[in-house]
Amino acid sequence: MTHASADPQPVAGTLRPEAAEEVAQIRASIVEVLDEQADLRRTHELMVGAQGHDPRLHELLTAELGLLGLVVPEHLGGLGLDVSAATAVIEELGARLVPGALATSLAAVLAARALGPSAEPLLARVVDEQLTLASALAEDGAGWDLERTATRATGTGDEWALTGTKTLVAGVEAARVVLVTARDAGGGLGVYAVDPTDAGVDVRTHMTLDQTRRLSTVHLREAAATRVDAPGGEGPRVLLDHVRAMLALESAAAARACLDRTVEYLKVREQFGRPIGSFQALKHRCADLAVAVAGARATADHLVTTLRTGSATRSHDAALAKLVCTDTLMAVAAEAIQLHGGIGFTFEHDAHLFFKRGKSAQLLAGSPATVRAEVAALAGL
Amino acid sequence: MSDEQFRAEIRGWLHEALSGPFAGAVGTGGEGREHEAHELRREWERHLGRAGWIGLGWPSEYGGRPATLAQQVIYHEEYARAAAPGRLGHMSEQLLGPTLLAFGTPEQKARFLPGITSGEDIWCQGYSEPDAGSDLAGVRTRAERRGDSYVITGQKVWTSLAHLADWCFVLCRTDPGSTRHAGLSYLLVPMHQPGITVRPITQLTGTSEFNEVFFDGAVAAVEHRVGAEGEGWKVAMGTLGFERGVSTLGQQIGFRRRLDAVIARAHENGAWQEPALRDRLVEAYIGLEVMRHSAVRLLASAGAGLSGLEASISKLQWATWNRSLGELAVDVEGAGALLTGPGYELDDAQTHFLFSRANTIYGGSNEIQRNIIAERLLGLPR
Ligand SMILES: Cc1cc2nc3c(=O)[nH]c(=O)nc-3n(C[C@H](O)[C@H](O)[C@H](O)COP(=O)(O)OP(=O)(O)OC[C@H]3O[C@@H](n4cnc5c(N)ncnc54)[C@H](O)[C@@H]3O)c2cc1C
Repeated sequence: MTHASADPQPVAGTLRPEAAEEVAQIRASIVEVLDEQADLRRTHELMVGAQGHDPRLHELLTAELGLLGLVVPEHLGGLGLDVSAATAVIEELGARLVPGALATSLAAVLAARALGPSAEPLLARVVDEQLTLASALAEDGAGWDLERTATRATGTGDEWALTGTKTLVAGVEAARVVLVTARDAGGGLGVYAVDPTDAGVDVRTHMTLDQTRRLSTVHLREAAATRVDAPGGEGPRVLLDHVRAMLALESAAAARACLDRTVEYLKVREQFGRPIGSFQALKHRCADLAVAVAGARATADHLVTTLRTGSATRSHDAALAKLVCTDTLMAVAAEAIQLHGGIGFTFEHDAHLFFKRGKSAQLLAGSPATVRAEVAALAGL
Repeated sequence: MSDEQFRAEIRGWLHEALSGPFAGAVGTGGEGREHEAHELRREWERHLGRAGWIGLGWPSEYGGRPATLAQQVIYHEEYARAAAPGRLGHMSEQLLGPTLLAFGTPEQKARFLPGITSGEDIWCQGYSEPDAGSDLAGVRTRAERRGDSYVITGQKVWTSLAHLADWCFVLCRTDPGSTRHAGLSYLLVPMHQPGITVRPITQLTGTSEFNEVFFDGAVAAVEHRVGAEGEGWKVAMGTLGFERGVSTLGQQIGFRRRLDAVIARAHENGAWQEPALRDRLVEAYIGLEVMRHSAVRLLASAGAGLSGLEASISKLQWATWNRSLGELAVDVEGAGALLTGPGYELDDAQTHFLFSRANTIYGGSNEIQRNIIAERLLGLPR
């Protein structure tokens, strides 16, 4: 697939059809819950607490609202909704920087759904047992470069054992199953499901620069595992693309939220006898951020369409959206601190939460430089 | 007709026309190249008109053809893809036509739209003056009513294609005591008459596509005033909205061609090995992807048309992007880009580099677009 081809892709004829009514309803119901239970005051409390997230909220969103099963096909017990239902939830969580494992879990469910029949037993369990998932791809030295995956998988059929160390794993705190990328004896890469409470698994959760997102190191020593993807397929890539999609969607929404808050502040804060938002130097910076946010939104929307239609450009579009959206969040959040002045530099204020989330979104699942090189390669440049 | 059938039809038609009688017009005209092949391009306008490719989405009684917004974008995409000649009639079709459809009387529509859809009449835009640019409300050109006519005195500047145009839509002050937005009227003025002097201005490209236009007793019929007397501001703002409209959604294809050319050149001359240049090329690729997805998004939400705000966002995006690509085009070329042909004849990279500086000035400068976005989208105080 090359994008910079002689026959450039047209704009018209690739319209996104009307999002389903149901997606709008799902979004509305989660907005209601989150507005009540997950404002940034709450995030401030949670992020310095022992668990780093709100288990009660997680329970409410999963067991009561059933969000994990949204996009699981009906014949496996799920609601069988469109990909956009899950992505809408990821956006709403992202806009509020909600700490926890739901977004990472939804990304893993979407990935499993894209893996086809081999992942169906897992998806059925997701609904039956309200399974929260996490994804473990990165390794020391290799980062998210799948080619350099060193974790070993030994076994056959349903019985596998994994040995290796996964780093920078998000969302393990509530996960009951971790999807792990590993290499079998023949050198083939695959995706395996591991129970983090298994005797062969040791999880160390770290304090993190982005306090809204705890990260863990997962040591695997002959840990019992089942294979989730079909051998010879591109399972690990599918998983990586969906993790990136999650980061992109969260970041696009957070960038928007952060800009909105900043603009509101500029309207009320007065200096020199006028609202500082009337100073053109500040206005123009906000306008540039608004343009960037619109662009990020567009790449995120396009990615959702790609995921929904199962388009062959998935890896390219996920990389592009992750790059553009996380860079945008970083830019907006950095300006948010500056435009708030002294108050923006305080721990008490929310601006740094967006700033730190922006950095973690940029660096997780491939740094901007890495992803940019990947986009270039995927585009045939 | 499906979008794909529509695309096939316009693509086939362009291919035939541009490999036959108009082969010599391929790639001529357009930004920085308006001085090229006038006669042939004028004939091209008529050829387009005869085939019904002007005025898509306009009522058929005025020579238009029914077409959805998506089809209009497809038309612009295919036009760019085929490197069809720069449209001498772009202001006629993109600016004046929609303005008349929105604000014109039935008589005005019947009188002027067929001349546009047939490719016969070329129009220019008489807004800017020496003291009224970004602050368009500072217009001073006066029009005094005498019986059935207005008599116009004053000066316009930067008037693109005035030297080739048959008509000009002119914003003038009809109420002598008025200031700012009040007291302005929007007049349709024939260019071929005594009392109008057009003086070409040489641009930094060494060529000339814009002009000074002097009005010294030139006449416009009262029935050719669009909108009420003194309410020209509203009409003029309508035109500005159209200026940043549908055709910009289709321009990604043309941009992609330019980017591809720069990338191909970088591969050819080894500039691609230069990490800093390669990174800028990848950055340009990413910027174009963002614009393409933004255009899809706008198109999906646009319904009947684009709002001024959406248009401002896309204007700021594309103008800035294209200007950067112009710089990149010569940087990829290296010092070799410093040599021109005889008579300061410029190649594509040089033309792009120099002309793209205009993108962020005309049609509302970047600064003006930022003001619009800050105040109207974000609601920041004036
Ligand atoms: C190639 C080209 C073709 C053109 N064709 C036409 C045409 O066909 N018809 C026509 O009527 N006009 C045409 N124009 C004119 C164009 O619309 C004006 O040049 C433009 O509106 C800017 O006005 P100005 O040149 O007077 O610059 P000014 O308004 O004097 O601006 C100078 C600088 O100040 C900035 N500035 C001005 N006001 C503000 C503000 N409030 N806040 C911040 N910055 C500000 C501007 O952005 C710019 O950077 C053309 C211009 C070009 C370059």
